[in-house]
Amino acid sequence: MVDSNQAQASEGPARVRRGLIRYRQLWALLIAVLLLWTYLSFASPYFMTVQNLTNIALQSSVVGIMAVGFTILLIGGEIDLAIGSTQALAGTMAALLIIQRELPIWAGVLIVLGMGLIVGNVNGYFSLFTKVPSFIVTLAMLGVLQGLAFVMTSGQTIGGFPEAFKVLGHGKVGVIPLPVIIFFSVTVVVQLVLSHTRYGVELYATGGNREAAELVGISVRRVLMLAFIASSMLCTLAGLVLSARLNAGHGSFGSESLLDAVAAVIIGGTSLNGGAGNTFGTLLGIILISTIKNGLILLGVDPFWQQVAVGALILAAVLVDKTIKGELAPGDLLPRLVRR
Amino acid sequence: MTVSAPPGMSGPNGNGALDRIPGPVMMARGVHKSFGQVRALIDATFQVDEGETVAIVGDNGAGKSTLVKILTGAIQPDTGSLELDGTEVSFRTTRDSLQLGVTAVYQNLALADNMTVAENVFLGRVPTRWLRVDRRRMEKESAELLDSLAINVPDVRARTALLSGGQRQAVAIARAFRSGRRLMILDEPTAALGVQEGQKVLDIIEGLKGQRVSIIVVSHNLDHVFRVADRIVVMRGGRIVGSRRKEETTTADIVHLIVGTRE
Ligand SMILES: Nc1ncnc2c1ncn2[C@@H]1O[C@H](COP(=O)(O)OP(=O)(O)OP(=O)(O)O)[C@@H](O)[C@H]1O
Ligand SMILES: [Mg+2]
Repeated sequence: MVDSNQAQASEGPARVRRGLIRYRQLWALLIAVLLLWTYLSFASPYFMTVQNLTNIALQSSVVGIMAVGFTILLIGGEIDLAIGSTQALAGTMAALLIIQRELPIWAGVLIVLGMGLIVGNVNGYFSLFTKVPSFIVTLAMLGVLQGLAFVMTSGQTIGGFPEAFKVLGHGKVGVIPLPVIIFFSVTVVVQLVLSHTRYGVELYATGGNREAAELVGISVRRVLMLAFIASSMLCTLAGLVLSARLNAGHGSFGSESLLDAVAAVIIGGTSLNGGAGNTFGTLLGIILISTIKNGLILLGVDPFWQQVAVGALILAAVLVDKTIKGELAPGDLLPRLVRR
Repeated sequence: MTVSAPPGMSGPNGNGALDRIPGPVMMARGVHKSFGQVRALIDATFQVDEGETVAIVGDNGAGKSTLVKILTGAIQPDTGSLELDGTEVSFRTTRDSLQLGVTAVYQNLALADNMTVAENVFLGRVPTRWLRVDRRRMEKESAELLDSLAINVPDVRARTALLSGGQRQAVAIARAFRSGRRLMILDEPTAALGVQEGQKVLDIIEGLKGQRVSIIVVSHNLDHVFRVADRIVVMRGGRIVGSRRKEETTTADIVHLIVGTRE
């Protein structure tokens, strides 16, 4: 029974405390980013310039848009390994249709978005209706889509978009680049949907306990189908933005983005088991990753170390997360042989 | 869901139901269900009357949960039919049965531990206002509902994972009660509970009995069964082997039926 007077009196502080506990991962991440920024601004005079910060934001944006889609799916307990390929296919299709076939921009964009819709449906269909795990389905799609992107362009780079299309990657509102605005809007809108709509509640419930969600009458397949579609559509959007920014399309554009997007989502605190997570964590995660990559360059480290760093970060984030949740004791990290 | 005949004047919540002669609310006829080689249900015919509380007893694997899940559409029978208020129905999912006021507390409770108590009470029927989830209403109504069932849950905004076994059971019952205005099914509601919490759940069931809702309780605890049930149905090896009014039977009689030493 809830004592309403008591509940009222402790409402304020309790709410703050709940917020602190519930969002502790966000706070920790924010502090980590700020510490890193402080360090880098001392380590390199170039770091804290508008130019450099804009670069970090721009780099974060394209991968960030995809990572938001990945967040939605992972909350629902599913996964999409084809995000990089979907993005690559979207970029090459845009170049093919708008540059080579000289279609009007709106028509090209519409067709590319339609492709995203189809990819999402295919991913969802096989994962939800044939009981093949989405891990496998989307791994297969990774190959299929990436291959298609190369086949359609014979492995060539197609460059030279019309100015109006390039705005998508180069436009600015005030001093803020359009891709950054798109990324931020996507992050906010998606989280509003997740937190405040019935769909959001049903997605979290589905990710938390799929059988329970089914039994209480949630249409689990519909919920997850929409998540697959959202993921693919956001990758398509990211592909359009990237090709506009690079003023070209090529099958290999964005091949690194899967690693970065997954890292951002995991660092951002989305549960690997589903049922928990939010896009603001993902946003901070991608900023952290972009900052680290940027910092490595500023510090004169060989760029090939970037992937090593991101990979190691994924592992570290998962281990820290498991330790915090009490699923892993630090002692367990040592093999029995060593521990005796 | 298919409904082969219109429900008529005395639908599940219609006023006509009040002057009707009590008849079966839910009826299952000749239901068979196999899982691969396992024949979980064999020619099961079963009914619950208006306002009646029926207990289903039987050993582990007798088919109790399978029968219960068929009644809610959680699984589909191989053959056989279901009738709700005399109208043949076929539930493709639990959504179909929920719409007609049939709910269950499943043996595994079906709670999403990552969600709050209020969210779990409303799960599947989350109220919205202008597309926005109405959390205030959810919290207020679930607190009131838990109160009215005399269920002690400290904070409806707490994660369900933090609750005790009894509290979790209570949340699942509250959810079923919210939508189960016609028939409520409880699969082993006291099995995981301590003595006191078990008594509390029995109190809740007895409270429900006054409210014109039909109830099916699955339990291994014959004391509990004799306390709440009007009628006791016994299952063995996938078959329904007996049905006794409580006044006409004894614990020994029921035990003989369960283990098969008397038909
Ligand atoms: N989904 C399933 N897949 C395969 N076999 C199943 C499934 N569900 C039930 N069974 C089998 O069907 C039989 C009846 O199971 P059921 O769960 O209905 O028994 P029960 O009477 O509820 O038992 P308990 O008292 O242990 O809960 C058992 O042999 C069980 O192993
Ligand atoms: Mg059972």
